[in-house]
Amino acid sequence: MARRRSRLTRRHLGVATLAAALGTSLRAGAFGEEGAFHPRLLLTGTRQPDRRRRTALGRWSTEVVGRTSSPARLGPTTVRADGPPLLAEPFAVWSGSKAPEPLTAREVSWLQRYVAMGGILLVDDEEPGEGSFLRGAKEQIARVVPDGSPIPIGDENVVFRSFYLLRKATGRIQKEVRLEAIVRAGMTQIIFSPNDLLGALARDPGGGHPFEAVPGGESQREQAVRLAVNIAMYVLCSNYKDDQVHAPFLMRRRGSESP
Amino acid sequence: MIESWAFSGDLERGWLLLAAALAFGSLVMLVFEVMRRGPSAGRLLVAGSGLLAVLALVLAVLRPVRVFERSSTVGARLVVLVDASRSVDLPADAARSRRAVEDAVLEELRRHFADVRVRALAFSQGEPSLLEGKPTSAAPTLGSDLTAALESIARATDEQPQAVVVVSDGRLERPGPDVGDATIRATTGRLQVPVHTVSLATAEPRDAHIRSVRLAGSIVAHQPARLEIEIGCTGGLGCGEQLVTVRELHLGEAPVIRASSVVRVDGGRGAAALEVTLDRAGRRILEIELDSPDGDAIPENDRRFVAVDVARDRVRLLHVAGRPTYDVRALRTWLKSDASVDVVAFFILRTRTDDVVASQEELALIPFPVDELFTKHLSSFDAVVLQDFDAEPYGLSIHLRRLADYVKQGGGLIMVGGPNAFVSGNYAQTALAEVLPVSLRGIPPDAAVDLAAFSPALTRAGRRAPVLEPVASLVGERWPEMPGTNVVGDAREGATVLLEHPRRHTKTGAAMPVLALGEYGSGRTIALTVDGSHMLQFSSFAADSGGRAHGAFWDAMLGWLMRDPRFEPASVELPRGCIAGVPTTMALRAMFADEGAEADLEIQRMGSGKTVRQVHVTFADGNGRTTADLGPLEAGGYTATVRLDRQGRSAPSRHDFACEAGGDEWADPRPDPTRLESIAQATGGIAVAPDGITKLPQPRATRVVAERRVEAWLPAWMWTALAAALMGGHWVARRRDGLS
Repeated sequence: MARRRSRLTRRHLGVATLAAALGTSLRAGAFGEEGAFHPRLLLTGTRQPDRRRRTALGRWSTEVVGRTSSPARLGPTTVRADGPPLLAEPFAVWSGSKAPEPLTAREVSWLQRYVAMGGILLVDDEEPGEGSFLRGAKEQIARVVPDGSPIPIGDENVVFRSFYLLRKATGRIQKEVRLEAIVRAGMTQIIFSPNDLLGALARDPGGGHPFEAVPGGESQREQAVRLAVNIAMYVLCSNYKDDQVHAPFLMRRRGSESP
Repeated sequence: MIESWAFSGDLERGWLLLAAALAFGSLVMLVFEVMRRGPSAGRLLVAGSGLLAVLALVLAVLRPVRVFERSSTVGARLVVLVDASRSVDLPADAARSRRAVEDAVLEELRRHFADVRVRALAFSQGEPSLLEGKPTSAAPTLGSDLTAALESIARATDEQPQAVVVVSDGRLERPGPDVGDATIRATTGRLQVPVHTVSLATAEPRDAHIRSVRLAGSIVAHQPARLEIEIGCTGGLGCGEQLVTVRELHLGEAPVIRASSVVRVDGGRGAAALEVTLDRAGRRILEIELDSPDGDAIPENDRRFVAVDVARDRVRLLHVAGRPTYDVRALRTWLKSDASVDVVAFFILRTRTDDVVASQEELALIPFPVDELFTKHLSSFDAVVLQDFDAEPYGLSIHLRRLADYVKQGGGLIMVGGPNAFVSGNYAQTALAEVLPVSLRGIPPDAAVDLAAFSPALTRAGRRAPVLEPVASLVGERWPEMPGTNVVGDAREGATVLLEHPRRHTKTGAAMPVLALGEYGSGRTIALTVDGSHMLQFSSFAADSGGRAHGAFWDAMLGWLMRDPRFEPASVELPRGCIAGVPTTMALRAMFADEGAEADLEIQRMGSGKTVRQVHVTFADGNGRTTADLGPLEAGGYTATVRLDRQGRSAPSRHDFACEAGGDEWADPRPDPTRLESIAQATGGIAVAPDGITKLPQPRATRVVAERRVEAWLPAWMWTALAAALMGGHWVARRRDGLS
């Protein structure tokens, strides 16, 4: 009986999140959902987000809700980098296909406050083949975090074991097996994905995938979803899986995996 | 008026001696000169005129005076220092206590020193106090610091005594048993007078006792500490092997045995080193009990109640969350950033209905070891945080009684709101519901959450509570808007509500608590019915304070839970300690108390939890200090709880203390006449027994001059003229006798 009540509560949250997705007048953060995972698309300069990749954010939340105990907001939202709404929540995704416009001083200032308060930013390259967005984004991020530079992170990093045990990073394109990140005070705060993670998650109105996962197909897409879930769980749990209590379990499982 | 004279009215003794020496030298030289010259007609004239000239010269230098004095002779001043410590309540012999002997000794001293101004002072700690009446009518005190009393007399600016008589059993804190004469002499400092001593007792009582309890180093929570216990058997009592047991006292709980050992007593002494591990930091009360043999004269000193301050290496905290959210993230981030917190976290990342689309081996998930955590390891934590955690699906329900007992024995508990907390988390009608500072009764499951947004409002207590001061200094009285709340009932009796719902009310009509603090047994609990405290860290609201308000809030919450003095609204102390059976005074200090502020003080006995005193006090002068008379208490451990009433009931402040019949004063009941003899010998006094008081020497009387007038015999110029004339006559006599 009690368990049924518990599930009812979760269902209730689902309704709330769905209502939010439909743009009703319900507050975005109802009780129990205020702290739900919420991937926000970061807007800078004058560039508008890619419509198909916006659907990836909803998909990302759906996968988090379906696979984990965490609540998530299903409605994709955007947030500008030059105002107080950026500081409303601790997670945002900055993606693009071309070199970004230089950040304005105001954008740099707000992003600096965001990072200083512990916000996490995922920088995702929509065109891994060109790589111009990632290169440009790193240049701009260097203005936000002048004392940090990106370093490669792999399966030694907590992001790769925050829910799934992952060996490598992936996305729509399998360009790099490692991510890059700026780590501040032991916390991975800015993650650079060169593989178009949002592209792997995007859905078209019919529910299909607008982008093909290359070269691994659906298996690669599943790995991309798992990485997205891991990033979400890292955002929500921080370095929980680095706790000593998990170490023997994770070492055993890593050891049992085939190379 | 008595008339006398003096060589000089203004020259000091040294100058007088110098003048006399010069005159004597001159006369010697004159005699030598006359003798060498041999017989002559003018020899006698030369010698006589020379003698007169030297004397006149000396008198011209000194200028003698007449002194007129009006004076009287008064008896010498004698200070009698009477031992007022608890040890003199021990038996002196079969018939009388040492304090009763003091009565007789003081009377005999007054008789013996009838012509002496006797001032009787009682000494224990610090400065001695005037003894009015008999020693048996004075309240016993803890401590017997003779050194401090002698130093105080030496420092006094009034008339110094000609002698000091110490009446004691010799069982003194200072001077200690092994100090030398030089140290004792240094004790009296500039008080250069003999210290006579009267020993109240010499016979050792037939008694088994706990002579000392010492901690080898500091005691740290969760770490074994060594308790060194010394056992004594005196007066020929056969002790053999004795069982010593160490228990930790709790409020409302039976004492918990922490260690025990059989101690072998040889030559009247035995020792044991017991290892004890205390889980809770803060002040703890230990009861150390000795199974005494038959014939024990003083059973009260077979049991000691010792207050120990248990340090905390790090706060060890169990953080259990039902699902990952930004609220969980914020709390974990803060906990992990605090080096003084050792956090063990378990978050439910996956429910049974979640489809992870992967095998178990592909997951980084571990089973939630609920049974192991809440049975084997629970006592190792200082506090437990249940954040949005449903007790039922994860097997916590069967451990809720144990968790309640954990709090009762001193553990801390924080329940943080969310869809799976409080009533929604299946805590209603459980043992844990009784532990929380808010009631969960009568709340239907389908109305267990309120989805209406609101901003928590500070209560009157919340505005004044030190525990909310850090966050208030950053965000003022505003709180971010919360997207709903768990529904709870009234605050429990004794709990303090710091934040309340601005619109929602309980069934009794009171505003619904949002943040409440409470005590349960020896532990503390916090209920926070919202899941949005993370908005103090990361939100548009938090931006102004740079997100620091979240850390300030939780630092204070955890600090209060762990009894950090910074967050206690009040503190208490026992200025004169607590002696069983003797009226006890407690001093209270409130951090924030206006003039006229009131407070309730409740004294509960540890173990039974019975309230033995309830006192209502007023901070009359606005300085936040007052005292409360508790009357006599029995020996044991007690908990004093203070609740301030001025600005709404504050969070209670709790302080544990021990009350003993004799404490250290009775730990070793043997009198120590040898130490008294050492003191007397070192200061030039004599040591006597009560029947030898007549041997004490009478100090010399003192002459007190009421009026003194000085007149010169002759004016100074006349002394000078006389000296010049006589010097001239001597010169003429010498010339006539052929001398140069």
